[in-house]
Amino acid sequence: MLNFKSGIGIALLVAGATAAHAQQNTPINGTVQSRCIIQTDQPGIYGNPNAYTLSTTNTDGGSPPVIRVDVTLAAAYYLDITAPSAFSSAPSLPDVVTWAGDTTVKSMSDSTNMGGYETGKLETGYTDRYDLTATGSTWFETTSTATLGGSRAFPGGNYTALVTAACIAK
Amino acid sequence: MRKKLLLLLALGSWPSYSYSESIAPYWGTTGNVIADQSLNWSMGGVLPEPLGLDIQNVIYSYKIQKETGEWVTVHVQNENANGTGYIFRETDEWKPGTSTGMGINKVVPVGDLPRELWGPGSIDIEGNGSVYDANVIYTYKVTPCYDPQYDPNCPGYKVPTPNIVEVNLDDLYDVFDDENVDLERNKSIEQDDINLEENERKKKEEEEEAKRKYRLEKALGAADAASLFAENARIQQMNLVAAQNLQAYVIAGIPGGVYNDVVDLRDSKLPDAKTGLRNGLAQQLLHKQMVEMQYNLNTN
Repeated sequence: MLNFKSGIGIALLVAGATAAHAQQNTPINGTVQSRCIIQTDQPGIYGNPNAYTLSTTNTDGGSPPVIRVDVTLAAAYYLDITAPSAFSSAPSLPDVVTWAGDTTVKSMSDSTNMGGYETGKLETGYTDRYDLTATGSTWFETTSTATLGGSRAFPGGNYTALVTAACIAK
Repeated sequence: MRKKLLLLLALGSWPSYSYSESIAPYWGTTGNVIADQSLNWSMGGVLPEPLGLDIQNVIYSYKIQKETGEWVTVHVQNENANGTGYIFRETDEWKPGTSTGMGINKVVPVGDLPRELWGPGSIDIEGNGSVYDANVIYTYKVTPCYDPQYDPNCPGYKVPTPNIVEVNLDDLYDVFDDENVDLERNKSIEQDDINLEENERKKKEEEEEAKRKYRLEKALGAADAASLFAENARIQQMNLVAAQNLQAYVIAGIPGGVYNDVVDLRDSKLPDAKTGLRNGLAQQLLHKQMVEMQYNLNTN
């Protein structure tokens, strides 16, 4: 009986101490809808004009991928598009692959304000940076060429490479 | 309570079902209006027929062909059919720096502009350049009840009333004023008309009766013909069987020799048969009785 009472007293004491130093974290949630939306308008296809080359050029039997970027807030984003520099999946290759790639503006919804995107882009390696100064849609086309070293033939199989596009808030 | 709820539910959903599908607005899209390199088109052959059509968007795309240093301005436009100027005009500036192969894809909302306002369309180019792979499409909305008389379910629909021409009765021909008309004669004609109708009715009935008889005769005739045909077939079959069993001649052996008369009648007195006498007498008596009976009947 004595033990039970003391037990309660300790419990009340602890509760009183807790009330004296009450603290609680209340979350504030929020969701930001990006004003820059990237989507694949057309996936690319590698053509195989010769044994040691894979190319997205139409004349080589390929088809370049097209990326569409919709911007609803002007002058708020950069767009970085990086051409492939490696296969994401491929058969085991007997030699080093040499890569070439480039991105260009294919089409736009506002030639007056987007017409300067191509001339104003910054090229760093395989990455082209565009300053998205206008609202609207812009279509970008990326070409990619992979050449196997020593003019060796690409082994038979499926090859996949990825073009990376990212909207970067200013 | 449950029935009331069901009734309320049915009443609540009633308007959606009573609204005919045929009068609901619908949306559509034209094909590419640019059929050739002229970059001009007329809206008459582009939009469908129904009234109440409003254009909502113009969607176009093309690629520019020009030198990089050139400044080219491209207008995609439609003339205002009810006035001067343009009902729609979108301008694209291709400044120096842009190059051949760059394209434009644009969706331009125009609100709901009635088709009557849309004149001929064109792509107009200013500067040293041209466009290719041009594509212009219109999206539209059709409201069938634009004309309330389109369907009885349309709001504002009015039941059509026949157009009755008003005639001045005074100008009409009045038979009573015609001196050349004998009204009594008209009566007889009316009577004749009634008789004529009766006669026609009777005539039709007679014709119908004759037709019925004719059809019956035809049917019986057909039945007789069928039975006759069957009888003939049966006779033919019998003849055929008989012909198979009947020989054309009889083969019989006749023994030769002399056949003598074997009857030997000897002369003697042949007495009268008494039974025959009695029989004859009885018949005579019977005959007399019969003859006398007729007299007895008369006397009675």
